[in-house]
Amino acid sequence: MNRAGRSVSRRTFLIATAATTGVAAWPRFGLAQPKATITYWNGLTGADGKVMDELIDRFTQDTGIKIEQQRIPWAELYAKLQVSVPAGEGPDLALIHTVEVPHFASDGVLEAIDDATLGGKGFKGDDYLPATWQGGTFQGKRYSLPLDVPQHVLYLNVKVMKDAGFIGADGKPKVPASRDELVTMAKKMTKDDSFGFGIGTVNPGKYTWGFHNLLWQNGANIYASDLKRAGVTDPAALEVAEFWAALPNQHKIVPPANASCRDAFIANRLGMWIAGSWNFTGLREAKVDFTAAPLPRIFKQPVVWAMPHQYTFPKVKTVDRAKREAAWTHVRWITDHVADWTLKAGQVSASRKGHTDPRVTADPVLRTLLAQAPNWQVGQSTPKWVAAENVTRPMIESMYTGQKPAKAAMEDLAKQINALPE
Amino acid sequence: MSGALGRRRRRQARTAYLFLAPGLLLFAAFRLYPLLEGLRLSFTNARLGRATEQFVGFANYTRLTEDSRFQVSLTNTAFYALASTLPVLVIPLLLALALNRGALRNTLRSVFFFPFTLSVVTVGLAWLWLLDPVVGPFNYYLRRLGAPSHSWLAEPQTAMWAIIVTTVWWVTGYYLVIYLAGLQDIPRDLYEAAALDGAGGWRSFWAITLPLLRPVLLFVMVTHVIGSFQLFGQVFVLTGGGPGDATRTVVQHLYETAFQNFFQFGAASAMAWVLFAVVLGFSVLQFRLLRGHTEY
Repeated sequence: MNRAGRSVSRRTFLIATAATTGVAAWPRFGLAQPKATITYWNGLTGADGKVMDELIDRFTQDTGIKIEQQRIPWAELYAKLQVSVPAGEGPDLALIHTVEVPHFASDGVLEAIDDATLGGKGFKGDDYLPATWQGGTFQGKRYSLPLDVPQHVLYLNVKVMKDAGFIGADGKPKVPASRDELVTMAKKMTKDDSFGFGIGTVNPGKYTWGFHNLLWQNGANIYASDLKRAGVTDPAALEVAEFWAALPNQHKIVPPANASCRDAFIANRLGMWIAGSWNFTGLREAKVDFTAAPLPRIFKQPVVWAMPHQYTFPKVKTVDRAKREAAWTHVRWITDHVADWTLKAGQVSASRKGHTDPRVTADPVLRTLLAQAPNWQVGQSTPKWVAAENVTRPMIESMYTGQKPAKAAMEDLAKQINALPE
Repeated sequence: MSGALGRRRRRQARTAYLFLAPGLLLFAAFRLYPLLEGLRLSFTNARLGRATEQFVGFANYTRLTEDSRFQVSLTNTAFYALASTLPVLVIPLLLALALNRGALRNTLRSVFFFPFTLSVVTVGLAWLWLLDPVVGPFNYYLRRLGAPSHSWLAEPQTAMWAIIVTTVWWVTGYYLVIYLAGLQDIPRDLYEAAALDGAGGWRSFWAITLPLLRPVLLFVMVTHVIGSFQLFGQVFVLTGGGPGDATRTVVQHLYETAFQNFFQFGAASAMAWVLFAVVLGFSVLQFRLLRGHTEY
């Protein structure tokens, strides 16, 4: 019980202190450190969502990083981002459409990505197709990284075209080479409740992406080149509007304004169908006899509407470096495994990496989509694009249903676009 | 003595307010505050995502007089409210009279009430398919009968009527139950006395049933008209406001202004207050028209 018996020598004290510090510090350097969990919001509510789930499971197995996904329909996702990010409640990572980048960037919702960070993570423009890479920038700054390229393609229903005598000697359906030929062929296929031509998955009357595609084919656009004044009353745009109105009212070759073109195509009641590339995996599941062809040149140039998905880093009040790093790791991992995404989700990648994968090049539809790459065009880089699209929808529908003549509708649309707030 | 009474009353009042406090606090936080904040926003150019906002006076309200789409929305909403009121008043009443007695009344009441248990999205999606122009059963049977098929939801002449039919189908069961409750409250001896005086069924309906159901009719009418001015779900699912703007309603226009077109909270708040004034006006009018002859 003497004091000497209970005393601790200096050496013992130092060893004990070092050991304690070492044990406490072990998780920082050792394998026991838990990996970050990140939140990831996307609008992949279709079959592509399941593919993303599978890839994320593999990613977690490979890296130990967990991802909590919130899958919300696109329109609600964008409203939620706009509300939650200023409140500091946004996700670590979000997937958005290219046309959303300008207004989110302009409103300070997205974190800008500098070249040093990009280079450090191994991303460079040369690895991507130009239209997709450029879509991630706004006013000279980068805000996003493209994942894939949803785009239009022409689906041809083999049965309907065979019945109308449009199968060539090679056994393949004939692809119209011009606007006139498209109308002539479609008229021959249209009878009762079967239609020769359709554009858009559902509600073709207000399918703005189809209308944009036709505008772009004719060298027109929603905004004039200064991105301030509406361009929809220009002669080239009016020509497209006249054609849009003529499809159901004069030529009578398209399904009604609120029909489901997809259902009609699956039911062999639609011959030629311009629609998104995201439909083709579903058509295969439905066992429809179809082929896909590059978009025909309906106006001056064979432009193909494209809408790349973009990875973004919504702003946070204080950056958690571990989470940000984990988010980058995920973007890098998906980019490196993008061929798997292409094969299962049916979307060709924005990066060139997946384009040469033999599994991708062996698929005739994916080959067709890749062949369209030189003709891809995306929406104009203005924060007003989405709002302009919203006011375009009822206007093109009013032409489709014969409520308004093309010229009056376009003049009305121009007025509304020009009145959009800054 | 009076002092002690006063103290007791004050104590009772304090206790009462204490019990009311949680409810009042919730009311203030989730009803009153948003209402007043909405009023304040309606005088600003507030936009979600913009750091600053400026006072713009009545600019948001005056702009509504130039907003042709808002005016179309208001007209459509008023048309829906007027056109749907008669079927909503009459059809459930007729069903209630038929189901007030009879062997299968409980089963049939459940059958008619069932649609109301469904959410508006479920109802909308079901009718969307029923009315589909290409693969929908309505058009299929019309074609089988040799009649021309229609794009009910895509033709400007029929789209709003299709929404009215859908809504009437959906809410009939709810109003049926309310009418049945009203019918049960009418004393049987009135009918017996009328029968003794030689009154037939038709005469009894006009002289007894209808006057005594007046409070119920007023309730159905007022709640339906208020609900009509808030029409959104059915339109959102069935037509999205189309074709063109043929079925666009005020709430849809407001929603798009607030959450789709640039998050213009100031402009959308002004629309909300105009809508509130219109609903208030209609409600007061209905009470004035029907209240004078109603005994509660």
